[in-house]
Amino acid sequence: MKKKKFEWGYLLLLPGLGYIGFFVIVSAYIMIAQSFGLYNAITGEVSFTLEGWRNVFTKSFFDALWFTLRTSVLSALISIVITYPLALLMQKTKARKWLLPLIKIPYFVPGLVGSFLIVNLIDYHGLLNEVLLLLKIISEPMRLRNDANGIAVIAIHVWKNVPFMMIIMFSAIEGIRQDVKDCARNLGANSLQVLLHITIPLTVSSALVSVILTFIRTFNDYAISSTAGPMNPLSLSNLMKTTAYSYNDWVTAGCIGVLMTIVTVIFMVLYTVLGKYLQNGGK
Amino acid sequence: MSVRLTVSDVKLSYGDFQALKGVSFDIEPGQFVTLLGPSGCGKTTLLRCIAGFLEPQSGEIRFDGCIMNDVPPHKRNTAMCFQSYALFPHKTIYENIRFGLRMHKVPVTEHDELIQKAMDMVGLTGLGNRKPYELSGGQQQRVALARCVVVRPNLLLFDEPLSNLDAKLREKVRVEIRELQRELGITAIYVTHDQAEALAISDTIIAMNQGCIEQIAAPRTIYDKSANRFVADFIGTANLLRSSFREKDICNVVVDTDIGSFTALDDNYTKLDDISVSWRPEDMIPVLEGQDIPRGCNVVSGIVRNSVYMGDRLDIFMNCQEHVFRASVARDYVIPEGSSIRFAVPFAKTRIVQG
Repeated sequence: MKKKKFEWGYLLLLPGLGYIGFFVIVSAYIMIAQSFGLYNAITGEVSFTLEGWRNVFTKSFFDALWFTLRTSVLSALISIVITYPLALLMQKTKARKWLLPLIKIPYFVPGLVGSFLIVNLIDYHGLLNEVLLLLKIISEPMRLRNDANGIAVIAIHVWKNVPFMMIIMFSAIEGIRQDVKDCARNLGANSLQVLLHITIPLTVSSALVSVILTFIRTFNDYAISSTAGPMNPLSLSNLMKTTAYSYNDWVTAGCIGVLMTIVTVIFMVLYTVLGKYLQNGGK
Repeated sequence: MSVRLTVSDVKLSYGDFQALKGVSFDIEPGQFVTLLGPSGCGKTTLLRCIAGFLEPQSGEIRFDGCIMNDVPPHKRNTAMCFQSYALFPHKTIYENIRFGLRMHKVPVTEHDELIQKAMDMVGLTGLGNRKPYELSGGQQQRVALARCVVVRPNLLLFDEPLSNLDAKLREKVRVEIRELQRELGITAIYVTHDQAEALAISDTIIAMNQGCIEQIAAPRTIYDKSANRFVADFIGTANLLRSSFREKDICNVVVDTDIGSFTALDDNYTKLDDISVSWRPEDMIPVLEGQDIPRGCNVVSGIVRNSVYMGDRLDIFMNCQEHVFRASVARDYVIPEGSSIRFAVPFAKTRIVQG
């Protein structure tokens, strides 16, 4: 049998594969190893232990998990509820040429900067409270920042996610061919029926995908929850940071990191499966 | 139920560009009418005005005498076959066909029977559960057709529906469309730039150019008695030569050209300033050396420039002074390039056209 010649062209894959290998696989390995006490970048002393996995499932962890899941799911859902009709309206209006770039601005503002901006608006004596007091809608300022329900965190995530979703949703809506919509009208569908029978079914997959992608982004956020989130409960990323830096417990922090990654991977799988399912028309 | 369509002085502009410059015509119920013209002549714009997707800036569109200008597309009861088929990609073939029935609020109990009938009519039996992407172009076109006819529209509209199909399939589907329209008796308007398609399928052809109607006539009339230079040139192939009127007797018109005089059999001729003499390549009869020119014929002679074998015929391109004329003769002829040749063109096949 003829020996297969080495294809030098494969070397072109090295930069990409190197990136994946180094930053993803190696860092995932380090995190997993750390959770079992097999990696220590500070003292270098390593020994296998299950201590971290025994300690991680505390009330603080479950509170943080619930808080993070709740804020992520809510902010993703609120974002899509705002984005979907906005994208539909945007597609109809002639002003979209200048409105779209405006809406996209928060997407390019760093999370921390956006966080400070919104915090200043919703703080105890921020613009929102002052206006509501002035209008006598409230009698005393509301505590919206660092509140246990994560209202500020959700608000900032929504502010940040709507432009991201808009990019996906606007493209999806624009992608529907005009003749398909015209055909529906021609066959007797009014504007609402075109929306219900054509536009929504053809863009619902993009909406679901954008919700999942937004959820993953929000679930792993650190900057926003650390500036606008409560001290109790913490978000998972903040709990991980506090465990590592304040308690110097890098093993348990590694466990939290592994658990966060597992949740993310579950949603990534869900995203892929859902994408394929919808691509095959629900089969 | 089919309707009488009346279009009166319809005008529509896109900015400075006048897409329709006052178009008027009348279509009898059950007729199959083709809007024929080159790209950008306004035929699709006119079709979209009839469907209600575009609103004319002036003029009226009437269905059975009722003005439809302000009626939205979903209330006009027209059904359009789009160039791209415009099938709903997320629905099965069955659901695609059912869509119009649902929108027209046809009782659900009747859906199955009507859909089955429509699918059988267009030869799609058994394909109801497939998605559009699982079908060939020809099958997709049939789905679009079934989706249109199932709602029993007042008016069937076709926007170049066969342009994405190959030549053989195009011929097959156009026959099917015509048979179906005849069977159902629905008034149909068909947009195309393919003159062969228009001639083959229509009761009446409306030839359009630059937002205006050039001629409305039956296929045979529009081909044999083209109203002007544009129609003669666009529909089929025509040899055209600028000419000037010399004289007219009871049934013949004599005109002068720079290659000699031509006589045309035309008892309806009215004197025009700007005229051309026109004849079809297939009406040119080769006159071999030693043969006499038949009586009642004009003579065109020249040098063969190209001789192109087309399978079913031989196309001759001949130089005649500074003009190039085209003749189509039987494929058995052997006419070498560079040889001298004479053609006889019967007076009856010679036309005087405006322009």
